[in-house]
Amino acid sequence: MSPVQAGRAEAIAAEARGGAVYDRGYRPYDGPRGRRGAATFALYKASMRRALGIRRSWRQKVAPFALLGIVTIPAIVNVGIGYVTRDRFLSQRIQIISYREYVGVSAALLLFVALVSPDVLCPDRRQHVLPLMFARPITGFDYVVAKLGAIATILFAFSFLPQVVLFVGNMLVSDSALNYFTGHLWVLWKVPAAVALLAIYYTVIGIAISSLTDRRIVAGASIIGLFLVTSISSAIFVGDFEFRGGSAAGLINVLRLPLYLRDLIFLTHISPRSPLGGVNNGGLLAVVTYVVVLAVGVTVLLRRYRWVER
Amino acid sequence: MTSGSLLRLDGLTKRYPGTTALDGLSVDLPRGRIGLVGANGAGKTTTFRLLLGLAHPTEGHIEVCGIDVARDPIGVRSRLGYMPEHDCLPLDQTAADVVATFGELSGLPARAARQRASDILDLVGLDEARFRPIGEFSTGMRQRAKLAQAIVSDPELVLLDEPTSGLDPAGRDDMLALVSRLGSFGISVLMATHLLDDVQKVCDYVVMIDAGRLVVAGTTASLLERTGTVTVDVGPRGPELVAPLGAINLRAVATEGVVEVEISNDDELDLLTDCIARLELPLYRLSSRVTSLDEVFLHRTEELP
Amino acid sequence: MTSAASVAPVPDDDPAFAEHATVLVENVSVWFRQKVALSELSCSFGPGVTGLLGPNGAGKTTLMRAITGLIDVNQGAVQIEGKDPRRDRQVFRRLALVPEDEAVPGGLTAREFVRYIAELHGIADRHAPDDALQSVEMLDVGDRNVDEFSKGMRQRTKVAAALVCDPHVLVLDEPLNGADPIQRLHLISLFQRLGADGRTVIVSSHILNEVERLAPRVIVLINGRLAAAGGHHAIRDAMDDRPRHVLVRSDAGRRLAAGLIALDSVGGVTFDSARDGLVIETLRARELATALPRLARDESIRLFEVRALDDSLESLFRELVR
Repeated sequence: MSPVQAGRAEAIAAEARGGAVYDRGYRPYDGPRGRRGAATFALYKASMRRALGIRRSWRQKVAPFALLGIVTIPAIVNVGIGYVTRDRFLSQRIQIISYREYVGVSAALLLFVALVSPDVLCPDRRQHVLPLMFARPITGFDYVVAKLGAIATILFAFSFLPQVVLFVGNMLVSDSALNYFTGHLWVLWKVPAAVALLAIYYTVIGIAISSLTDRRIVAGASIIGLFLVTSISSAIFVGDFEFRGGSAAGLINVLRLPLYLRDLIFLTHISPRSPLGGVNNGGLLAVVTYVVVLAVGVTVLLRRYRWVER
Repeated sequence: MTSGSLLRLDGLTKRYPGTTALDGLSVDLPRGRIGLVGANGAGKTTTFRLLLGLAHPTEGHIEVCGIDVARDPIGVRSRLGYMPEHDCLPLDQTAADVVATFGELSGLPARAARQRASDILDLVGLDEARFRPIGEFSTGMRQRAKLAQAIVSDPELVLLDEPTSGLDPAGRDDMLALVSRLGSFGISVLMATHLLDDVQKVCDYVVMIDAGRLVVAGTTASLLERTGTVTVDVGPRGPELVAPLGAINLRAVATEGVVEVEISNDDELDLLTDCIARLELPLYRLSSRVTSLDEVFLHRTEELP
Repeated sequence: MTSAASVAPVPDDDPAFAEHATVLVENVSVWFRQKVALSELSCSFGPGVTGLLGPNGAGKTTLMRAITGLIDVNQGAVQIEGKDPRRDRQVFRRLALVPEDEAVPGGLTAREFVRYIAELHGIADRHAPDDALQSVEMLDVGDRNVDEFSKGMRQRTKVAAALVCDPHVLVLDEPLNGADPIQRLHLISLFQRLGADGRTVIVSSHILNEVERLAPRVIVLINGRLAAAGGHHAIRDAMDDRPRHVLVRSDAGRRLAAGLIALDSVGGVTFDSARDGLVIETLRARELATALPRLARDESIRLFEVRALDDSLESLFRELVR
């Protein structure tokens, strides 16, 4: 049969089979329907996507990932140097940065908080998106939890990843990876714990401040402003340019506060060289102040997102 | 879907310091398309807030789809959709992304949410534009996207706040047609609007509130009564009809370009048309005088103390 | 209230131009970069209420701004009572614009706001603000803060502020927006009164059945150009190349249809089950209207309802925009 004849035969056969039109109308939804937990989790995921610029234009992704890159650089450098010096004796090995020191406060991290926290809260307020949440099975409390969770997760991941790079790198350039691993088991719980404490802390501050305004720039500037002002005033109060011992005024420095808790984890006591060094019950004071800061932040948030009127 | 009333308000009162927004509202609304019309603004917003569980009634009691709002506000909200009046969509995300995300926020699994978002956007006529950011949408398109996020979770009842606000006549027609179709999807509608014309076109049931009190509640059809008067438009020579009609015992009055004739039975209708034919007048219009919702509202609000 | 002086000689058979025009728009074009908002528009407005209609983006707001001197025209000229609103400050003594957007300064009560506007215009009469508030029925809430008002109340306050300087020309952009049914009726009768007083009232609105009630004359803009002008029945008559549709309900639909098909004036007959009647398409409405009762009588058919389906301003508009 020629192609034309085959085609015609096919058409005749199709006609014989008949035709049908399918209804493309509305299909009701009968599937599973989650409630508060599912909705809150969905908000958590959506907020993370927003912060990282996922499903938005490429420009939105640049800043977060660039900052991640910057924060990871010391780890890479350290590993690099370790590699270069690997053939030398143990005593001559150079380590630029210890795990404890790496759990620290870098400008990049702060910029990240000031960038990302406003981005997940302020547009919702500014574009009046919040009322769309009213017909959803979530409460103001759930909203706050989801947002805090999203930013804390990202902060944790971004602070933790460089640590992983550092650890794995060190493991690989050491004489014996396995020995390194078993000899540094403490890293496996101290680092995540310290990073988590830091992440939660900066998240609460960043989100709480962002909840006070609907303009991202104002929120970002306020976050940076708060850190700057408190660290400067704390320095003034501690006042001592020749370090002769610390004072409780070191607690004013909102920026450094979680580092005291970090020291408690890594060293089990406040580092003598920190502004709080030598203060009686310094550790206890640091912990209390930490909890107070978190409580204040969370209270602010819950009040800002109280949807149901009394 | 359970049968039974959609919305039951029982002695619902809401007082704020200084004003009473709702005063003893009691009404039992069936499923379908309901229009909510209020004089003096306040009642409509307050009603929505109370339905969504965002405010507590001072007195009285609300049941939505059989659920007591005071006892289970979350349960109520998971059955509702809400389309606010103002702009409320994130402008830098695509329509598909926004509607899917809000579907997830209503508890739908991610894949189902994406699927439904696509279906619903097609239904509201945004299928071509669904991968464009909402910032690029016209007013009409944004309204439709807002409606889409309200119905993506297949709610039992959707609350619409002035859905035709900002739309030109063509856009209004499109939106009202969409709202009409919601009924056939099994979704009930509570549409708050100040345009009685919209209500008359789309709603099966009307609730009117004035100063917090219920003025009218009933089916649209029952409210639009027919009177015994028939309006006839025969053009500029209308007044010529009056005398000949009087001669056959039909009372007629020529007013504002038309002639209003009192008709008590169908035979009199025939007499009227025969008279018109005899006088060789053009019959442009013959209709029973039907009240409009505007008149019903005015009439009833004037009756209140 | 004396009516204002006539402007240029008026071509008296062109419905785009009003008799005794106070506001004259001559070959006006306005563009913003690439977008042409108004394109060689010529029309005029006179005493009474004139409706200004058009789809979103058709140029209504631009025209209103050009008339009130808020923007400059790139081509052509606008004249208010013979004067140029961009150059002659005198124009503003008798001209008022009520724009659609919410441009009321915060922190003022209604009375304070109206009084402030009155002072700006140099109105000496101390009772003028209260009178203006009274005419929009806002006198009893005169001491409440404008920020607390609903949209409809804010609109009415702005109308009061416009009225306080006793304008000859009043331009209102969507004044009925947000008003509840009672307020709307009162505003409509207010505008009708103002028009009857001899003021030139130009109202733009999307709610066509109210424009129908309010304005005996309309100007329709589409895409920045004049699409139609005049009374809406007259406009409909002028569209004689488009068929009219008449609904007829009777007790013998098919027999009536058979009789109708034989008539020259009938272009087509459709059975409309939703409306329980026949829809007749015709290009000659008057001929059909005269033949209909005769046909009913001759065939002994009872007519229950006869109604033009496209007689409203809404259907006219839909036709124009198509």
